[in-house]
Order: sequence, then C-alpha cells, then structure tokens
Amino acid sequence: MSANATRGLRGVAAARLLGRVAVRHAPLSLPGGGIRLRRRALYILPTREGLYYGAIVFVVLFAGINYANGLAYALAFMLAAIGVVAILHTHRNLASLRVAAGPAPPVFAGDIARFTLVVRNDSDVPRSAIELSGPTGTRRFDVPAGGETVVMLEVTTAQRGYIAAPPVRLRTRFPLGLWHAWSRPLALPGACLVYPKPAPEDRPLPDRAGVHCTGTPSARLEDDDFAGLREYRYGDSLQRVAWKKAASGQGWYTKQFASAGAKEIVLDWHLLTGYATEERLSLLCRWVLTAEQQRISYGLRLPGVRIAPGLGPAHRDRCLERLALFEAT
Amino acid sequence: MSREPPAPSASPQAADWLAGVAVVVIAPLLGELPIWISAAYLAAVGWHYLHTRFGWPQLRRWLRWVLALAAVAAVLRYYGTLLGREPGISLLVLLTGLKLLELRSLRDAVLAALLLLLVLLGGFLYSSSLVLGAYTLVAVVAVTAALMRLQHPGLSLRAIARSSAVIVLQALPLMVVAYLLFPRLPDAFWAFQVSDSGGTSGLSDRMEPGSVSALTLSDEVAFRAYFDGPPPPNRDLYWRVRVLWDSDGRTWTEGPPLAERATLRRLGELRSYRVMPEPSKRPWVPALDVPVSAPAELRRRAGFVYEARRAQREHRSYELVSATRYRTGALDPEERRRALALAHPPSARLQALVDSWRTERAADADVVRAALAHFNREPFVYTLNPPLLGRNPVDEFLFETRRGFCEHYAAAFVTLMRAAGIPARVVIGYQGGVYNDAGDYLMVRQSDAHAWAEVWLAERGWTRVDPTAAIAPSRIEYGIDGVRRLSSQGLPLNAAADAVLRAIELPWLDRAWFRTRLAWDYLNFSWYRWVSNYTLERQREFLELIGLTEYSVPAMFAILLQLLFLYALLQLRRRRSRDAVQDLYERYCRKLARAGIARAAAEGPLALAERARARRPDLAPAIDRITAHYVALRYGRPGRGELRALARLVRRFRPMSPRRRLVPRS
Repeated sequence: MSANATRGLRGVAAARLLGRVAVRHAPLSLPGGGIRLRRRALYILPTREGLYYGAIVFVVLFAGINYANGLAYALAFMLAAIGVVAILHTHRNLASLRVAAGPAPPVFAGDIARFTLVVRNDSDVPRSAIELSGPTGTRRFDVPAGGETVVMLEVTTAQRGYIAAPPVRLRTRFPLGLWHAWSRPLALPGACLVYPKPAPEDRPLPDRAGVHCTGTPSARLEDDDFAGLREYRYGDSLQRVAWKKAASGQGWYTKQFASAGAKEIVLDWHLLTGYATEERLSLLCRWVLTAEQQRISYGLRLPGVRIAPGLGPAHRDRCLERLALFEAT
Repeated sequence: MSREPPAPSASPQAADWLAGVAVVVIAPLLGELPIWISAAYLAAVGWHYLHTRFGWPQLRRWLRWVLALAAVAAVLRYYGTLLGREPGISLLVLLTGLKLLELRSLRDAVLAALLLLLVLLGGFLYSSSLVLGAYTLVAVVAVTAALMRLQHPGLSLRAIARSSAVIVLQALPLMVVAYLLFPRLPDAFWAFQVSDSGGTSGLSDRMEPGSVSALTLSDEVAFRAYFDGPPPPNRDLYWRVRVLWDSDGRTWTEGPPLAERATLRRLGELRSYRVMPEPSKRPWVPALDVPVSAPAELRRRAGFVYEARRAQREHRSYELVSATRYRTGALDPEERRRALALAHPPSARLQALVDSWRTERAADADVVRAALAHFNREPFVYTLNPPLLGRNPVDEFLFETRRGFCEHYAAAFVTLMRAAGIPARVVIGYQGGVYNDAGDYLMVRQSDAHAWAEVWLAERGWTRVDPTAAIAPSRIEYGIDGVRRLSSQGLPLNAAADAVLRAIELPWLDRAWFRTRLAWDYLNFSWYRWVSNYTLERQREFLELIGLTEYSVPAMFAILLQLLFLYALLQLRRRRSRDAVQDLYERYCRKLARAGIARAAAEGPLALAERARARRPDLAPAIDRITAHYVALRYGRPGRGELRALARLVRRFRPMSPRRRLVPRS
C-alpha cells in the first residue's frame, strides 16, 4: 500500500471519527414529549475558580508534606474530596432533568418572541441555580423537587416568517462554583410565527387604496353610535375599554360602535402600488388589526391568496399568517 | 466544547457570610500573631461586613494598593524579613483581609474564600491538636456554605447548611482513604522545621531532695504501656529508668558508665508488653522491673536499664519482656566498689545506728529488714512537702526532720546500707500508672515518678527494696493518686489501709471526671498517632496491618484512583426515587405493559386510561379508580388516605390473571 493511500485511509478514518464526534455533540432536538438529560448529554469541566481551588489544594498538600503536618495533609485531602464530591453534585444538578418545549405564541416583527421551556425535575433533590443560556442572554432558575419550572427564552425578532429558537444550553455551577456543567445544545422543536411589523397605528383604514368597499363608500371609519359591550379580547384598543365597568370590578368589556358605512372591506395587495413589499405587508397587517378591532368584516387578497371577508381572532390569525409567510422561502 | 460564560458579578449580599468565615478561620491564630496584625485583619473583616450588609463603599483602588504595600512594609519592619513561618503567615493574613475589601465580581469573592482556607492552614503550623482538628472540620463546612451562598444567594440558611454538611460528610470517607494511603515522604523537602515546643519537664537523670516530689503535680504523660492481658497489680509496677551509683552526699548521679555484665536468672512468669515513651529529649525507655529482653535497637546499660540511641522526637513503641521475680549473678569488683562508696565518712550517729543492726544480726538480709523496720517504727512521715535539708541531708533527714518523700527515703536507705557494707544503689523511674480502659493501655504520668533502692545480697543478687513501702504502703498499693487524695484530705500518708481506701474512694462526680480525662487522653493520643505523627513508619505499620505489604508509590496511587472511581460510581448510581406516588403509578404501568398495553413515550395518565379501557373493558373500573387517585395525588388536592387507597388498588390490579386462567383451559 502506498503512503498516499495510507494517508488517504487515515484521512477517511479521521473524518469519520470527527463526524461521529460531531454527531455526538450536535444539538439534541427536543421531541414533543421532551427529553431527559442523560449523562451523555452533559459535560462538566472545572471553572476558573475550580482551577484556583485545585492550586490551593496543592499548596495545602505541599505544606503538609514539607512540615510533615498531619492536619495539613488532612485538610488537603478534605478539600480535594470536597472538590470531587462537588463534581457529582454539579453534575446531578442537571442530570435527568426533563426538558420539554412549550408553545411559542406568534409575535409581530420587532417584538420579542417568547419560547417556553418546561424543565421538570422528577427526582427528590431540588435543583438550584440552573442557567438557561442562549445567544441572547441567560436566565437563572430553580426547579423544586418533583416540580417543574417554565422558563422563557426571549428572542428579538426582526423579520416576518418563522423564526426558530436558537439552540440553548442548560448550565450550572451550583453548588460550589468549582465546576461548570452544561448540556448539549438543545434544539427546540417548532418555530415562532412572526407577523409583519404593523405600520404605525395612525394609518387609518384607507378609503381607496387597497380597499374594496361593498357597502357605502364612507371615507372615514368614524366610531358612530354606541352599539353595546362585548367581552374584552386581546388586541382591543385600550381606548375602547369600558373603564367604568372595569373599575367597578365587573370585568373587562370593550365598547362597540356601529359604523354606519363600512360593513365589509377587502384589503388588497394589488392596489397598494408604490410601496415596497415589506411596506405593503406592514400596512396590510395594520389594517387587519384595525379592521378586526373596529369589527369591520375584512378580507385579504395577496398574489395567489384570497381570503374571504370575515371577522374574529381565528380569521385575523389566518390573515396575519398569510402576511407573515408571503413569499417566504 | 462550551466556553465558560463570564462569571456573574457578585451581589454584595451573597458575600456577607465571608465575614463570618473570616472570623472562624482566624480564631486559632489570634493568640499567635502580633496583636496589630489580628486587629488590622479584623478591621478589614468588619469593613467587609458593613459593605455587604449596609452598603458601605469599597476602598478605592489606589488606596488598596497603598494598604497592600504598607502591609508588606510593616511585616518587613516587624520581623526584619518576609521569609519564614511567622512573616509569611502575617503577610497572608493581612493580604487576605485586603482581598475582602476588593470584591468586584463573584470570582473575587470565591478567591477570598480560597484565601481564607490558607489562613486556616496557617493555624496548623502552631498546633495540630485534636481540638483544632475538630474545629477545622467546622471551618471547612463554613467555607463550603459560604461558597454555596455565593452561587445561590436565594437559598435559605437551612438549605445551605444541610447541603454543605452533606457535601462534607460525603467527602469524609474519600478524605480518610486518601489520607491513610497517600504516600508519605521520609523527610521534609527543605529543612524548614517547626521548632520544638521544648522538652517536657520530666524525670531528671539526677536525684536530689525535692527532685521527685516536684513532679507529683505534673499530669503530663511520661509513657504508655500496652500489656498482653491484664496489667500486673500496682505494687508490681516498678518502671526502671536509671540506676544511680554515685553521690556527693546530696545529689545522686549515674556516674561513669559501667560495663554491663550482670547476668540474670528469672524465677517467675515473664510479662511481655510494649512501652511507648512520649517524645522528649531523653533517650530513656522505661522497663518493668526487671527487663530480660528488648529490641536490638535499644542500648542496654548497667543496671538493667535501656535507652534509645538518640533523643526520642516521635512516638515509637518497643516490645519488652520482663521477669518480676529473678536472681542476678555475681558482683564484679568495680561494681562492688561503686556500690559501697560513700561521699563522706558516715556521721557517728549514723554509724552507730548501722552498727546496732550489724551487731544484733549477722546476715545482710537481716540488716535490710532492720533498716526497714526502723523506718516503720520510728516516727517517719511520708509527705509531699518535706522540709528543706541543709549540709548533710541524709543525716538531717534520718535523725532530725524525719519527713520526706521517696527520694529522701531511697537516698537515706542506700546510704545506710553502704555504711553497713552492703552494696546498694538508687533506682529512679516510675511506680504505678493509671489503666486506661478506653484505650486498653497503662498511662504513666510524670507524677508517678518514684525512687527506690536496690541492695546486693549474696544469695539473691540485686534485690529491690522500697523504703517508701515501709512508711507509706498506700503509695505502692494505690499509686500517687491515692497519696494525693490523702494529702488533700489532710490525712497522714502512712494511714492504715482501710482509711486509705475510704479516702481514695472518689465521689461519683470526680470519678466521672477522672474517667473523662482518661478517655480524653486516649482520644488525644489516638489523634497524635494518626494525625500529628502519621509518618512513613506509621503508614507502613498501618498498611501491613491491613495486609498491604507490597508497598509502592505507584500502586498506592492506583489504589487511590480506583477507590475514587468506585466511590463516584456509588454516588452516581441511580437513586430509587422516593416519590411513592410515581413508584405506584409506574408499577401500574408495568402491569399494564405486561398485559400488552405499554405506555407511550409522552402519554398522559388519562390518555393511557382511555386506551386501556378500550382494549380491556373488564379492567375499566380498576383503571378508572387508579387513574383518578393518581391524578388527584399528582395534580389535585388529594384526600386523606388517598395514597394508601392507590397502593391497595395497584397491588390488587391484575391485568394478567384472567388470561393466566385461560391458558390451561385452552
């Protein structure tokens, strides 16, 4: 066998080994039921303080040897043994935690997407000072024995579309700070839907551009006559909250007004000429919100998408989703 | 690999326990360090506490540097050097105090805690007593707790105390094994040696009036003896240390060494035992009267006494065999000359006294008996506080004061014998001892020091004669403690036996105190053997004891590592969860699985129940009840007895049984 061939084989073997190593340490994807952090998913190394601690142990041991001092020997071994026991405690602080991903409600671009992580501790030992660290920051939390803790992973969003949570790690330095244990990166399943960033609220529903009015083409949608109250829903304008009722503790209600003119509008992409794509989406997004808020039945028309007019949170979410995923790759 | 995230900054509150730990670790050093160093350190600790608790500002950076330089300069000025034990510890203490004033991050706080461990170490260079050892354990728990609080300031004191105690307790076995097995070096790396705390004031190699009675108040241990079987009675416990031949009339000394030629023939049983002298400047090895064999490493001297070849700096034990009844051989001329020499010609009244015994009775043994009878009959007093004697102490004692301690009687007796032409010599050593039940050894203290006489009789050779026994038998029967109690009660020391017994019967409280002291001695002594003095030889002894005869450093490290792994494995072993509800539910799931209904990975209890009900309608009532109880226990508000009900249901849940019954039929 020639030297080249050997080298080639060796290269292949090395690549295979590296590949295997990479697989071993690649992010673990969380299945729906969550996973248990087993030993193979955990790493542990001394912290810098731990290295200093080791140096101190050596100093004490050296004193014991030099002065033939039994007590110094004993202290050195006591400290060393505590260091070893601390490995077990630090490792156990993470080991066999069950991590599952919770839902991540959709947000608008520019807002903070909140991925939830449910960390459950089935053991009878409370887990303390665990850190969830992702690229955006670190959160500390405890998990009581037999209990669970919900941790939010916050990710700032910039673009509409689906955003996946970055891989996160659980870390801990508890109890003594001498060791640092961390998990393999955990890839959260699912993604957070990011709607387009709505245009500023002062953009009223337009009368012409992008709107088909099937009713009376009223220029402005004024809040006309008070029509009644309905239960407050998320997204309702705070200006319309029936504060008197809320203040008297009867619950939250939103005032509804009957608009004489607009009964139904269609928000149409094609009529919004002169705007860039994202601006159009942004405007449409705002109008969807406004129409929903004002209880004007609205439909949506995008290239290749046609949603019949309707009302209600489900309808709104459907429209927003189409906007979010418009021409998304 | 994951990069270590930056250590979070310390919240000052998290570091507040460091102040307590700082006080704990300095306590053993307070008596040793110059007062200004302790004061500076404690001031820094106080400032640190005020900073962490009440938000006092930290010192400015330049000020800390100035203080550090000032500390170095002050130590240099005080000691003249920075090297050595005291300057080193002083500097360490001062700089640790300064470090407590500079806690900008969590890492600083951890470093301060680690420096406190070094301060603790400093205390060991002054003492390694049992008390300090126990104290160290407490201090280590405190440091652990402080470290834990730094990591998690939110934990309660109770939780932290518990966890740190658990960590230290789990570390203890590891520590003990590593301590016992870690290879010891024959000698120190450098010649840094802790100076000796000075020899103990024990038995002297010369005897003069007052030299033995001065020791009666010293409870310092002289040596310990281990017997195979019960120790001999107190009256047989004569521990020879030195034989004194020469006297100037007042002081008795050994004089020029004599060649040891005396032969010995034993008569009675032999006693074998081990003697372990306390470290001292003396090479002496006390031996029970009279030793017949001793280890070759000991040097034998004339008069059946042994000594080590150099001062005994550490505990060594020696196997000895003694015969309590014996005959010695002939006396050589040199010995006879020395054993008859008198410093001055005897005074007329002394000579007259001796002659009165000689004329009445011929044999030497009769003269000895007459002399003892004289002591016994005449108003001699045995006392711990004898009057001072003048120019010719033996004469004054015999005819005027007649009050003395054992050295007076021994000196007087030997002088009398020599005047009568009987070879005689003084033996000094110890008489008696306290048996320590806890450690199964005889503890002989300096207060047991004693002096007696030996005369050479033609038919028996050297014969022990203790004139003290003729005056105060209680001294020999009950030991020095009996004498001291008699003395403290104002009773004559030569009181009748029953009076002595009554007197030395201690009240129970004193007895308990006495026993406590014995136990304490045993504890301290064990500590000494296993901690202060666990040297290469001691380690070899121990390893041989546990059967590790093939000792080598690599083997020892290998054993240590294996034990370490074993311990880690034991600790990591999956613990049985103590969640009874979960256990019961899992048992139910296993039963279901055996019946072919395995729980899916993320299946909840309700979903599982529904599936199982569909598959096995016959089990539906049991499944429903178990599930209801489980859900209530796990997620709801369980009623009383709910767990017991669940346990009963799970126990009786038998999804397999109908099928089992079916199988034989089909």
